[in-house]
Amino acid sequence: MSATRRFDPILLLAAPAVAYLTVVYGLPLLFLLGRSLLGAGGFSAFAGFFADPFSWTVLGNTVRSAALVTLVCLVIGYPTALVLARASGFVQAAILVAIILPLSVGVVVKAFAWQIVLRRDGVVSQIFTGLGIWDEPQRLLFTETGLVIGAANIFVPFMILPIYSVLKLVDPRLGEAAATLGASPVYRFFKVAIPLSLPGIITGIAFVFSMAASMYVIPSLVIGDRFQTLATLTGRSFLFMRNEQLGSTTAVVLLALTIGIVVASSRLSRRLGGAA
Amino acid sequence: MDVLSARPTRRSLLSGAVGAVTLIAAPSILRAQTKELVVGGAAGHKPWVEQVVVPAFEKKYNCKVLFEGTRSLVNLEKMQKNKGKQYMSVVQMDDPVMILAVKEDLLDPLTPGKAPNLSQLVPGSTHMEGMWANYLQPWLGVAYSKGAMKTPPSSWADLFDAKYKGRIIIPSLQNTEGLPVLFAAGMLTGGTLEAIQKDTDAGFKKLASLKPNLLTIYTQQPQAYNLLEQGEAYMIGPAMSSYALERKAAGAPIDLVAPKEGVFAMPSGIAVIKGAPQAELAFAYVNELLGAELQEKLAGPTFSLATNKAVPRPAGLGADVTIHQIDWANVAAQRNDWIKRWDREMAI
Repeated sequence: MSATRRFDPILLLAAPAVAYLTVVYGLPLLFLLGRSLLGAGGFSAFAGFFADPFSWTVLGNTVRSAALVTLVCLVIGYPTALVLARASGFVQAAILVAIILPLSVGVVVKAFAWQIVLRRDGVVSQIFTGLGIWDEPQRLLFTETGLVIGAANIFVPFMILPIYSVLKLVDPRLGEAAATLGASPVYRFFKVAIPLSLPGIITGIAFVFSMAASMYVIPSLVIGDRFQTLATLTGRSFLFMRNEQLGSTTAVVLLALTIGIVVASSRLSRRLGGAA
Repeated sequence: MDVLSARPTRRSLLSGAVGAVTLIAAPSILRAQTKELVVGGAAGHKPWVEQVVVPAFEKKYNCKVLFEGTRSLVNLEKMQKNKGKQYMSVVQMDDPVMILAVKEDLLDPLTPGKAPNLSQLVPGSTHMEGMWANYLQPWLGVAYSKGAMKTPPSSWADLFDAKYKGRIIIPSLQNTEGLPVLFAAGMLTGGTLEAIQKDTDAGFKKLASLKPNLLTIYTQQPQAYNLLEQGEAYMIGPAMSSYALERKAAGAPIDLVAPKEGVFAMPSGIAVIKGAPQAELAFAYVNELLGAELQEKLAGPTFSLATNKAVPRPAGLGADVTIHQIDWANVAAQRNDWIKRWDREMAI
């Protein structure tokens, strides 16, 4: 932050965005928090929520699936970001289009497409049985593995782009310098490339994790009613059980979870950024 | 739901165009001249309401009917927000939502004096002392893939047969058509329909044995039928006649059977809103929908049972098939507890 405490008029440029978000996001959020606390006995809604073992299953489902989606996105996304940062001209433009264009296809359409791909007679099953990895056709649809594969496909651009934006600023000569000093490719990757791109990785993780933890449409279509997450439970509480207190409670728990991840990752990236 | 073809007739186009011009020119004149009746209902009802019901009614009563198609819960919300100054007169909603409307004191009871056709209905078609009536009832049986199954299913017990591992789809309890799965399971363990609705414990225990057979539990009906039509799923149960038979009529390789234990009637309720504008016209509208003439025209294209005694059963549903009526007040009282137990016990 700046050393002087004098008011900077530039800050006024943020006023429209701040006003907009206060009205359409901040206030409703306050109402939501109010709803979860009011009603029968203040914090008892939260106490009741955490006393129920099923809530922990739901919380576990949410965190585990989001963490796996984030991991898959990182493993697939990092090398892609690396290639993207090194490429130039037509190749770079082509890769960027390939990453960004699918974002214009609706989530519902993608989820339906995955439904076809993950079926017993779907492409994945055919490839694995063809290669002899599976003895007989298997179904990935309506399994947690299927959910992770499908969701990772939808969220991977949000991992690639932040990492790419950091990597493209890294001087490629740093790697060459390390090589001249005798560092092996593996050593260079883990000791030079990864630390330099950490802020991007952390931003990507924060993006993908918070989106994967709160996804609603993808689990409803790819895994269905038998796998409840905080987001699907919130929807069900409001829309079908008309239990606004339970809905607000699960929504606040989900919010706390994602805010926790975002705050922790920005702290982490600031510390690492300062060290780099 | 494209029950009837949505092609606009020359008359509707003309009247629409004339109406639009008049509205722009002098809105107050139009309102002053004809009586207007606003009916709230499901978006899926729009085709048959606007093509069959509205023209007949407007002609007979010299008025204008506006149909607002949305979801039952949205209709409920509109009625709550406008309490004391209602603009809608009639509402067509699912029975579970009707119960909520009764609790909020939003409905004006139907009487044979105001709607004479009320006395022509089959037993069990009116609810909570005439607060609302069922005009059409889609029925729930078992839908199956004709490609995957050589012999059609004949009993609700077929869903539980171990040879259909991973091939069965059932609706979620959050969907209205999903509730009878609990009752069908309960009936298989023995006990009267009344007893198994009040105490669903046996039904839940039986359903737990269905888990290995489950491909999925759907909340989105089109997705489930997609899987059935492509042969990934073999059976959906309970399946709604209004959806399954419409898909069959469209050429999908599926069919719907009535299990030997009987089928369940789905609720399609109609009611007059308390404090409705044009109350007389509102009761006349309800009366027409309960009449044999309109029901006969609608039962075929909506693949539903008529509730007027004078209308025969639809093809495909033999005279010997029992039609179970569901106690919706009991459902309303217990549904949230059932959903809670369902989420815990039916999870992957």
